[in-house]
Amino acid sequence: MINFEEELKRFQPIPEVNQAEEAIYNNDLKDISDIVMVVTAEMKNSAMGTTNPVTGRIG
Amino acid sequence: MSSNKPVVCPVCGAQIRKNGYCSFCYMHIDIIKKAYNTSNYYYNIGYDKAVARDLSGAIESLNMSLRYNKKNVMTRNLLGLIYYEMGEIVMALSHWVMSVNYKSSGNLATKYLKELRSNPTTLAVVDQIAVKYNMALNYAKRDDMDLAIIQLKNLLSTNGHFVKGYLLLALLYINFGNYEKARVTLRRVLKIDKANPLAIHYLHEMGNTDTDIIQMRDDESVEDDGLLDEEYIEENTFRRNTSLMDEDPADKKSNPIKDFYEKCKNTLLKKKVVGDIGFAKYSGVYVLVGMVLGAMILGFVLLPAQRKSLRTENEKIIKTYSEEIAVKETTITSLDAQVSDLNRQIARLEANNSDDVNPLPDYSYITNGMTDEDIQNMIDNE
Repeated sequence: MINFEEELKRFQPIPEVNQAEEAIYNNDLKDISDIVMVVTAEMKNSAMGTTNPVTGRIG
Repeated sequence: MSSNKPVVCPVCGAQIRKNGYCSFCYMHIDIIKKAYNTSNYYYNIGYDKAVARDLSGAIESLNMSLRYNKKNVMTRNLLGLIYYEMGEIVMALSHWVMSVNYKSSGNLATKYLKELRSNPTTLAVVDQIAVKYNMALNYAKRDDMDLAIIQLKNLLSTNGHFVKGYLLLALLYINFGNYEKARVTLRRVLKIDKANPLAIHYLHEMGNTDTDIIQMRDDESVEDDGLLDEEYIEENTFRRNTSLMDEDPADKKSNPIKDFYEKCKNTLLKKKVVGDIGFAKYSGVYVLVGMVLGAMILGFVLLPAQRKSLRTENEKIIKTYSEEIAVKETTITSLDAQVSDLNRQIARLEANNSDDVNPLPDYSYITNGMTDEDIQNMIDNE
């Protein structure tokens, strides 16, 4: 049975034209390259002085 | 790697080292290639779904494609077109803008954006649709169901492909227990998006089987269900004739992506000419134009004619009176002449009288010493 209140919660306001800029900024999602770059940068930073979170070695 | 030309990292643009890693972002070229291939794979799936009019499924696949390569311009363009088809123009705009941002030359999104910008009316209509939808949603959340339904019908008459509007309208009808109208509304959703999960969910909840849904979806006739006006139905028929489903399979094989874009582009252009005009909205303007035309006809045709007839009538009256005055002046002149003539006669007679002061013979000496009785006797004897 359809619960009207619950179903209504699925509907969200849509952006208006004056909110297009905001929608464009929000549209800038991260792809797999971004994620790999972030992980690489974190590994690089940890390798500078602390132990590597992946290998557990220093440097 | 065999050529002397350095290989550039597609992510950051830096040079790829001999070991295959980027000198700047440390990404391996094989990983990037794999990611891009996967992105294209999901794009192809999304494209096939879009051609089959499974727009929701296409959006899902294309979003997955963007997860692997957010700079996939083809994916962005197709996603924008699908959002445009579903009436979510701002989402379409955002994807096209991102697409142009990643590739400015030779990009179809540039044409789409130019077409949208060249017609400010379209953007205004789009904005109105978003405003009305959000208003209807607010009404629904405040339990003003009637107002929400009126608002949704109004916006759907402007844009007959706004899927979210149909879904909300169907939900409101279900809430009212008007399942027949809800079915008709959801049928329209399935005409646009053949496998819309929410529409199918609602139909299942209303007791429709998968076979019913397939029959409902494949039924080509567009009947007047009273949901919207005839204008919408005409537009819907026209758009169905030019829809993606009418593509020739042979042409599709030749260059499917290009053909698809051409079809969508034509749909965009035709929609701008036929679809976005809400005649009911301009009824006030028509009334105003009619009033202005009426006033102009009154001012330029009727009033001058009336004025002319009045002037002619006045001239006739003036002429009549002028003639009468002329006749009377003539009479007065002749009478003046008579008066002056008579005056002259009187003067002449008076002058004659003054010359003969006592013209009659003097009989006084006879009557001297006679009484009145004697005089009477004398007269009687005579």
